[in-house]
Amino acid sequence: MKNITILSKMLLAIVATFSLISCETESNYEDEIPSIANIAVSNNGFSVLEAAAIQGGVAVVLSNNNPNDPSGDYTVFAPTDGAFARLGLNEETLGVLQTPFLTNTLLYHVSNGNLLQNSIMDGGSSTSALGIDRRFIARGNDIYINGSKILATNINASNGTVHVIDKVMIATGVDIVQSAIALQSSQVFTSPELSFLVEAVVYADLAGALSASPGSPSFTVFAPTDQAFKDLGTALGLTFTVPADIRQLPKDLVATVLLNHVIANDGKFTSELSAGMVTPLGGDNLTLGAFNNGVLTIKGAGNADAANMVIPDVQTTNGIVHVIDKVLLPNLN
Amino acid sequence: MLKMKIKTKLIASLYLIFPAVLMAQSPVSGFMKSKGDGAVVVSYSQEKYDKVYLVPTEIDGVPVFNEVTNTSVSLYGEYGITDNFDVVVNVPYIKSEGDGSPQFLGNNGFENERKGIQDLKVYAKYRLKSFNFEKSNLDLIGAIGVETPLGDYKANEGLQSIIAIGNQSTKFTGMGIAMFKTNFGFFTSGQVGYSIRSNEVPNALLSELKIGYAASKFYVDAFVANQLSDKEGVDILAEGFTGFFPATRVNYTRIGLNAYAPVYMGLGLTGGVNTYVAGRNLGKSTGFYAGLAYSF
Repeated sequence: MKNITILSKMLLAIVATFSLISCETESNYEDEIPSIANIAVSNNGFSVLEAAAIQGGVAVVLSNNNPNDPSGDYTVFAPTDGAFARLGLNEETLGVLQTPFLTNTLLYHVSNGNLLQNSIMDGGSSTSALGIDRRFIARGNDIYINGSKILATNINASNGTVHVIDKVMIATGVDIVQSAIALQSSQVFTSPELSFLVEAVVYADLAGALSASPGSPSFTVFAPTDQAFKDLGTALGLTFTVPADIRQLPKDLVATVLLNHVIANDGKFTSELSAGMVTPLGGDNLTLGAFNNGVLTIKGAGNADAANMVIPDVQTTNGIVHVIDKVLLPNLN
Repeated sequence: MLKMKIKTKLIASLYLIFPAVLMAQSPVSGFMKSKGDGAVVVSYSQEKYDKVYLVPTEIDGVPVFNEVTNTSVSLYGEYGITDNFDVVVNVPYIKSEGDGSPQFLGNNGFENERKGIQDLKVYAKYRLKSFNFEKSNLDLIGAIGVETPLGDYKANEGLQSIIAIGNQSTKFTGMGIAMFKTNFGFFTSGQVGYSIRSNEVPNALLSELKIGYAASKFYVDAFVANQLSDKEGVDILAEGFTGFFPATRVNYTRIGLNAYAPVYMGLGLTGGVNTYVAGRNLGKSTGFYAGLAYSF
């Protein structure tokens, strides 16, 4: 009887001990380093990036090691929620983007291997997973990748490194004209944009000049939105409803106005622009306002008010496009 | 001696059944039914979470779905084929609801709800050995069980399956239970088991420790239940993760309370609360259940 009592107590002790040691505890894994995808998901400041990664189909990719690099690592320049908000994008409005464009945009923020802060230098560049290079630009005490300010660096992930940036980077992989056509044909947003601009470029026979060809120059282009053209029509006492309405204006005038938006300066990101005058291909000097929070205003000689950048720093194969909310007018008097 | 035997028998019959309908609690208790005795329980449960145990840290907000609420209606039955051999059957109908924004869900083709009949769970338990002491008793019980999908719910819908109602996995579980009860109504039980699982679900070590009190007018227990999955399982959003959630390594420690009170002629009410206190690749949910039991 006594033996059985001892046996029972032993059994209970064994079961109790086993139950306790099999308890799940954080100490089992608290030393593990999160993946890049986990960092985006677990950090409240990256909730739009998380949503974009899900929608763009890269969340699983960035959970795993990089099969395309011997190190198994990626480097990701991660735009904050604020960066997406500049473009009017949040978790819910991401649906205005076409998924292939969104995926490409995300890949433009990714590169193979570990690119640490100490190898990010002014004048340097880095090839993205999209195959397009990004440029590093020093301005004051800050370092920019293209037009995006690097806010924090060297966040260590199990599969690479994360740097935080304040603007979403966009690269089209095609030239200025094709980029505008991509927007016009709803390959970027689900609804067309820059349709009036594309129409105007075709009408004014400028497509050739703005298309890339071997040895062709690179430009900085200010690209007015459809609404900007509609507003111009109203200001001129006309009604611009559809892009073809632009043809109500004389062809030469349209050409002059368009060339007032193009600067032959190799294509500059906002991080490389400063307050002052710039000379476009045609028309009169443009006035850039102060560099403020990553953008500048632009005013044509014939404008009462300056235009604001709606989508700054779009990289094309023959220049940088900044989408703006007004048509820049030369002095038409 | 006879008097004591009667008393023991009486108390044993008062160790009334209580359902273990929740997924994170063992479906098998340390109480045995006498031959021909049984119980049927219909219960409703609800649990909710807005935090997820990921590795290495817990995150606030369930990806895609923000907050997830699981409600279920379960049918549970237990029957004593002999005094030493019981069969336990459990089938839950589960509804899992997310709180994702309609726009975001729409952008991705996701939906806020998944529901259906989940898995049929059948367990057989056999009292291998019983030791009677002066004022107490120790039972050693062996149990085997199979759980297999009854409904055609989906578990492979990528991130949509964050709110999948199950893993579409067939599981074979073997477990040992030690049940120690005193004639005064106090009892404690411990169980340890191992579960072999299909559909890439990692096999898991299961354990549960329970202490309680069973009197003629009520029953109450407190438990701590654990699952430790094999290390071959992957962590969500970590190396090896393909978006297939059944393959994830789910560990947890869950604590809870169960209670039962007889009402009238074999009918009784049961209920309980439970919460996760630690976990891995799992929603940090807290829930309750309530049920109507009929014992015969």
